[in-house]
Amino acid sequence: MTPSLLRPDQPLRLVDTYPPSAAARQAIIRVEDLSIVFDAPSGQVIAVDRVSLAVAQGEFVSIVGPSGCGKSTLLNAMAGLERPFEGQVLMAGEAMRAPRPEIGMVFQQPHLFPWKSVRRNIAHGPRALGKPKAEALRIADGLIEMIGLTRFASAYPHTLSGGMQQRVAIARALANQPSVLLMDEPFGALDAQTRAVMQDNLLELRERINATIVFVTHDIDEAILLSDRVLIMSAGPGRILKDLQVSLPRPRSSAIVAEAAYLALKRDCLDLIRSEGRRAFEQMEIKT
Amino acid sequence: MSIGGRSSATATARLSVVVAALSVPAFTGVWELVARSGIVNTVLFPPPSTVAVAVLEWIRSGQFFADLMASLARVAAGFAIGAAGGIVLGILTGRFRLVSSLLSPLFHILRPIPPIAFVPIVILWFGLSETGKLFLVVWGVFFTVWLATHIGVQKVDRGLIRAAQMLGTPQPQMLWEIVLLGALPYITVGLRTAVSISFYTLVAAELAGAFAGIVYRIEIAQQNMQTGQVMGGLAALGLLSFVADRSFAILAERAVWWR
Repeated sequence: MTPSLLRPDQPLRLVDTYPPSAAARQAIIRVEDLSIVFDAPSGQVIAVDRVSLAVAQGEFVSIVGPSGCGKSTLLNAMAGLERPFEGQVLMAGEAMRAPRPEIGMVFQQPHLFPWKSVRRNIAHGPRALGKPKAEALRIADGLIEMIGLTRFASAYPHTLSGGMQQRVAIARALANQPSVLLMDEPFGALDAQTRAVMQDNLLELRERINATIVFVTHDIDEAILLSDRVLIMSAGPGRILKDLQVSLPRPRSSAIVAEAAYLALKRDCLDLIRSEGRRAFEQMEIKT
Repeated sequence: MSIGGRSSATATARLSVVVAALSVPAFTGVWELVARSGIVNTVLFPPPSTVAVAVLEWIRSGQFFADLMASLARVAAGFAIGAAGGIVLGILTGRFRLVSSLLSPLFHILRPIPPIAFVPIVILWFGLSETGKLFLVVWGVFFTVWLATHIGVQKVDRGLIRAAQMLGTPQPQMLWEIVLLGALPYITVGLRTAVSISFYTLVAAELAGAFAGIVYRIEIAQQNMQTGQVMGGLAALGLLSFVADRSFAILAERAVWWR
């Protein structure tokens, strides 16, 4: 197995002492010793606890964990939407303090602007960055074609199905040509069939764009199917338990879920999550 | 049985349409009869026919148009200024905590004071000028629109704001597009309430002393014991306020165009 970049128990500054792998040299995302603390009525809650990780240019990394494990908080910190309590997030070597247009984000809910047509929603980013209207609309039209919604270019979001809305949200995030695309359970609110179609769409899309993708999900199948690496997080406080390399060949499709290598990986993940879940559960019982 | 039930339901529906159409004429008829029967003093309680004659005379003399314009101009200008100020400050207090800390306590103290209570001091400050009347209407409209906008801004979907942030939306565009449009459903409700408020304050403003206007005309007619004219003035004010509210409701529905 390739040496992992990730040492959940050690800060990432030790990366430099590793044999400098190709991935480490090209890391576009570095999370260093990141802790995020929330104020709650019952006191401070540690959502993310000294997490360090690195994602290489062009990599597709999933973060998997039970609900409430801090995986969305971790992603929000990468987006610049959440301030670190300790540690930092470096994107292309620069600390994230506020959102940056070269970091795109797709949320669990599409969050499309309801007053804008599909076309204008997608053109919003380029317009916000000061591109002329004609150019912004040209970018939008290209992306609309890519997501197969040409017929709906002038439709308003509320007239679209959940899956179509999420496709528009992905296209909107891509319109600024982000170098990193962060996805926070983007298919979590969709029904099983639509989710499968969207996963295949994303696999296809990934072959065409060369963005680095960090994908948060609680669905192990989804994580293995889509990713080069799967990071498994533990709950309360949020830590990374394991870094799994997914060396299944690409291009993939949802058909790989029947393959032996896939099943072996999945079994590993499940064992880990199950024992972690049991530990967390027992801890909860002791506390109460 | 079920067919019988349905046909009786349609009969009731038809009947209620007829009754609704007859409601106002029947009321006017009864009023006319009572007024002419000699039970009441027709000087104080004139029949509708007298009111109609007074209104026609009002219109024929050309005064009606002048009064209407004077009142409409006050309401329109006061509404526009008050609403614009309310929206701008509502967005600022709704979006920026520091601005809110600075202004909200003050606004919450001033807001519950009925605008009519300001008439005496407005007369001291502005005399019987148009500025004083404008001030009263603006005052009434502003706080209603400010509060609706302030609340609306805080209810804007956080997800929309985050999505806009991630796309690099600059601050001015964030305020005047995402926040304003996100709060628009609340703002339109506040604006509609402010339409009726602007008419209430108009009454106070014109009663305090004016040289033209519908309420001014009512007051003059009262001093001359022209009861028909007084009632005609009231009817005109009611109709005007009703038309303004209805047209605003239609406008508001269009304003939130994406629904």
